[in-house]
Amino acid sequence: MNLHQAEFNLSPELTRLFSVFVLLGVAVMLVGLGMAPERVWPSLLLVSYFVLGMGLAAVVFIALQYVTNGAWGVAIRRVPEAMTVFILAGALGLAVVFLAHRSLYSWTAAAHDAGNTAAWFKRFWLTWPFFLARAVVYLLVWIAFARAIARNSQLQDRDGDVAYTHRNARLSALFLVVFGITLWLASYDWLMSLEPEWFSTIFGMYSFSGLFASGIAAIIIFAVALQKLGPLEGILREDHLHDLGKLLFAFSTFWAYIWFCQYMLIWYTDIPEETGYFVKRMQGTWRPLFLLNFMLNWTVPFLALLPRATKRTPSLLVKVAVIVLLGRWLDLYLIILPPFMGHKPSFGAWEFGLMLGAIGASALLFFRALRRAAPVPMRDPWLSDSLHHHQ
Amino acid sequence: MSRRLLLGVFGKEQDILGVTSAARKSGYKIVDVYAPYAVHGLDHAMGLGPSRLPRVCFALGLFGAAVKVWFEFWTTAQDWPINVGGKPWNSLPAFVPVTFEVMVLFAGLSTVFAFFYVSGLWPGKKAAIVDPHVTNDQFILVLEQSDAAFDISRVKRLFEAFNVLRIEERLAEEAR
Repeated sequence: MNLHQAEFNLSPELTRLFSVFVLLGVAVMLVGLGMAPERVWPSLLLVSYFVLGMGLAAVVFIALQYVTNGAWGVAIRRVPEAMTVFILAGALGLAVVFLAHRSLYSWTAAAHDAGNTAAWFKRFWLTWPFFLARAVVYLLVWIAFARAIARNSQLQDRDGDVAYTHRNARLSALFLVVFGITLWLASYDWLMSLEPEWFSTIFGMYSFSGLFASGIAAIIIFAVALQKLGPLEGILREDHLHDLGKLLFAFSTFWAYIWFCQYMLIWYTDIPEETGYFVKRMQGTWRPLFLLNFMLNWTVPFLALLPRATKRTPSLLVKVAVIVLLGRWLDLYLIILPPFMGHKPSFGAWEFGLMLGAIGASALLFFRALRRAAPVPMRDPWLSDSLHHHQ
Repeated sequence: MSRRLLLGVFGKEQDILGVTSAARKSGYKIVDVYAPYAVHGLDHAMGLGPSRLPRVCFALGLFGAAVKVWFEFWTTAQDWPINVGGKPWNSLPAFVPVTFEVMVLFAGLSTVFAFFYVSGLWPGKKAAIVDPHVTNDQFILVLEQSDAAFDISRVKRLFEAFNVLRIEERLAEEAR
């Protein structure tokens, strides 16, 4: 096995394919802004948050490896490190939405909630300058942590100094705490406040569970792709995939657990302010989607990942990961779109175009970011443990 | 009928792993391998198939969940209908947490008991320790001298290639 491989370049065919995706996405978005802005803006929020979430999940994954002294994932760590570029991409998309179309958030209208004196804190929290300032803080903090952690790991390639590992362990511990609080608040700000009358105190946890499951799914897909394309050939073993598969299984189930917690408590308490959210999403043609969401995010991955063989077979594991990513998209669709679509869900060129654009942009950005460093952290003290990882 | 056994005692993990897979590849019948702790990869070296315990776990978990859903339906909707917060008598969401717990209980306990059963463990069972050293610092590979073709000198040479500490022949009085 040769660790000092030449710089990896994506084949021209794939580059062209993904570039076409991006162009299509941008074209659909520009046309859509003129023809169906009420569907394109929420969709842009959706794909931006989706992409941002995968980048954040990648940092969480790296941070968890550092704080637990987990050696097994070191050989594939450049995959999540490259994925951190998604944070910037997602932040850019969110910035466009916030700066160009703030009326997406109904509470920005002046008359909103004016008569309700009990909601003084909500009115203070949901003021536009404060909202923007918070968004800037969350995004800057995440970007700073992601860059610092990836940079330490890449600097270690030069001299193999173990101090970088210790520094990253401390940074990671701090990041996990800061991330827990900021993601919680950010998901309240950006997603829950789309329906400002509704609230759910578990929403932050719910948002994290889907975010991390989709991040693991993306790591699996990119890692297997790199094994097929060359850079991780002979490095990514069945045992690594087995561990990634177990994580996907665990966090898919965690998502189901949190999803049901939110649903059951609201169903049990039966307060009109809270049930409105589910009533909207379970009526008419929304209902099949509502059930499909649970299938894609939990039932299918759970049953598919139970046997050991699925977790150790790259082609099968990638299929499950794709299902989880589709489920994540549907989950966000059901969180974001219902207030804008009324009684009937619609899916057409606008939603599909933005989805394609996000896929193309993610792939291009990922393979570009990967070239910044060697495909494996060559002088990480745990590398040899990871290369000989056994179940 | 008594069985003629050949014991090889080894002092290192990599030796027991190496000799076990070498013995299996040469076609000797491995009765068992004893080790002071769980040695990673030993099941692979012995040629053991995957454990069947997960199937017991899955089946009994499913059984526990099904029985619990039926029981909750029977208690709250059939035998003694109770109005809780104006909910319908048969309210599946309310059953889910307890169903989950009972499923875990059935799956967990059944796996443990199935493990005790297949490994022949029960209270008061006398421990069959092949040598006290396997509880401390040594590993023992037990081969059965199954037929006339079993050539002891060749087996001894194989053992010696993996730094065997001592070799013993034994008669096992009963089949098990």
